[in-house]
Amino acid sequence: MAFGISVTIMFVILHLMPGDYITLYLEGIYVIAPPEVVLAYNQAYGLDRPLIDQYFSYFLGVLQGDWGYSLSYSRPVLDVISEKLVWTLVILLPATILSIIAGIAIGAYSGWRRGSKADVTLLNGMIFLRAIPSYWLALMILLVFAFYLDLFPLGGYVSLSALDTGIDLLDVMNHAALPIFTLFFFSVTGTYYLMRNSMLMTAGEDYIVTARAKGLDDMTILRQHALKNAMLPMVTRVALQCAGMLTGSIFVETIFSWPGIGMLTFEALQVRDLPLLQGILLMDTLIVIVANIGADMIYPFVDPRVEVGSDARA
Amino acid sequence: MIDVCDLKTYYSTGFLCRTEVRAVDGVSFGIKKGETLGLVGESGCGKTTLGRSLLRLIEPTGGRVVFDGTNITALSRKDLRRFRPRMQMIFQDAYASLNPRMRVRESITEPLRIHGLEDRAGIGRRVRELIEMVGLNEEHLNRRPYELSGGQNQRVVLARVLALEPEFIVADEPTAGLDVSVQAQILTLFRDLGRDYHTACLYISHDLGVVRAMSDRVAVMLKGRIVEIGPTADVLDRPCHSYTRRLVAASSADRGFSRPAPCPALPGSPVMVEVQSGHWVEAAAR
Repeated sequence: MAFGISVTIMFVILHLMPGDYITLYLEGIYVIAPPEVVLAYNQAYGLDRPLIDQYFSYFLGVLQGDWGYSLSYSRPVLDVISEKLVWTLVILLPATILSIIAGIAIGAYSGWRRGSKADVTLLNGMIFLRAIPSYWLALMILLVFAFYLDLFPLGGYVSLSALDTGIDLLDVMNHAALPIFTLFFFSVTGTYYLMRNSMLMTAGEDYIVTARAKGLDDMTILRQHALKNAMLPMVTRVALQCAGMLTGSIFVETIFSWPGIGMLTFEALQVRDLPLLQGILLMDTLIVIVANIGADMIYPFVDPRVEVGSDARA
Repeated sequence: MIDVCDLKTYYSTGFLCRTEVRAVDGVSFGIKKGETLGLVGESGCGKTTLGRSLLRLIEPTGGRVVFDGTNITALSRKDLRRFRPRMQMIFQDAYASLNPRMRVRESITEPLRIHGLEDRAGIGRRVRELIEMVGLNEEHLNRRPYELSGGQNQRVVLARVLALEPEFIVADEPTAGLDVSVQAQILTLFRDLGRDYHTACLYISHDLGVVRAMSDRVAVMLKGRIVEIGPTADVLDRPCHSYTRRLVAASSADRGFSRPAPCPALPGSPVMVEVQSGHWVEAAAR
């Protein structure tokens, strides 16, 4: 249901966008595109058919696993996406996992030691980090670490030597380091905030005071009583973050010229490759939906109070 | 058992112009072994802060708390931790004071471990003993707090506290959230257990009826100070401080009791005056 609606909305919005692939493409060849050539192209791609017609054939195609044909790549959309998705995951997965682990650890510590020097420093640091425009930070990271310090390559995903030796894992990791680092910085602040807040709430609960009154030491209380209870809101956050990072990677990939979904989106947008753009957005939608369902399925396992499909007792 | 001397807990609030709230402002009293002291007063008068300060769950600003000959206000954090199992606290909201992730069995087992009971069979036996002592049965051991009622949860809390065999308990309105019949059951249980274990207890409540039933002595608190303290019957039947009089009058009016008898005349100058043996009243504000 949600999927169908989003397909429709995407179709409408993308077709409202000014400019089209044919005109832009032909402008590279002619100064002014001759109308008969435009017509010929449109007929060849079936773009002369009424929009409503195009919509229904697209919708039916999507349901059958045919996501259309990319104009600029001259290949099926699904092929292009799945190829690029792998590369996006190469930077997205480590960045997400790292930011979740770091965010939870730092946030939990910060919330537990509320008001201490460490907490105040961390909190202000994170607010500062959050306030920096992300594209600017990405550019600065690129400038400092790749250009001035020359520690990492400026962009791309392999060096030229890969033409002779094939793709080398270490080489890829070296190229991936900066994009991962940047993505990590974007998402770690959000995780940190949520975890800190969640920990503050938990630390004020009576059962934490009771644990302290029983004479347990601080770390045991944190580990056995506080951490797990404070982690509950993180499940939803993590699910949404997985999806959110995919869109967040657009400018990171563009800035670091990383050949993933993000850069593909940017390219498709520039040349108005509508089928490809639709395919990418559809993929994002799918991931958000799947991630949400996933979070709902995981919840009963982490929180004994929630049971799917049965009325919880108050 | 426990001696409190001039205990003070101040909070400061506000960022630019700091104002000091004197939640507990120079309180002194003592509780003997096996004795229950009822603490009454309106909400916000510092009852809860006092209870928590005694156990150093809130750090007191000044004064001394001497527990069984040891000045616990002077202990380091580490030494204090060793003292903790000997003095326990019961909160008003039993559900909130149980970890929602833990089953009843785990909640009761944990204090036993702290108490140094290690072998599995021994722990299992003791847990069953405790759960039956508070009037629940083994079936409840595998439940989680959200699967139990408020009264049952309070019994679990009681079992958990008893597992540590504490010598001093601060009970902060443990029955305030329960309906009257359950309240009566819990109070009876509480009193019987207190008698069996010879625990000293500070029983905090704003319900004079409950305090009358539960305590040997009563202390009346007003704006962070104890204004009257003495044997339950003396204080509640012959209140001398104007605040206690109003308190007793308010509660006896709707219970159909007679109005309190007039108080004997008091000499003027000192801060606390002994009107009868063991019955002290703050003279200044009378």
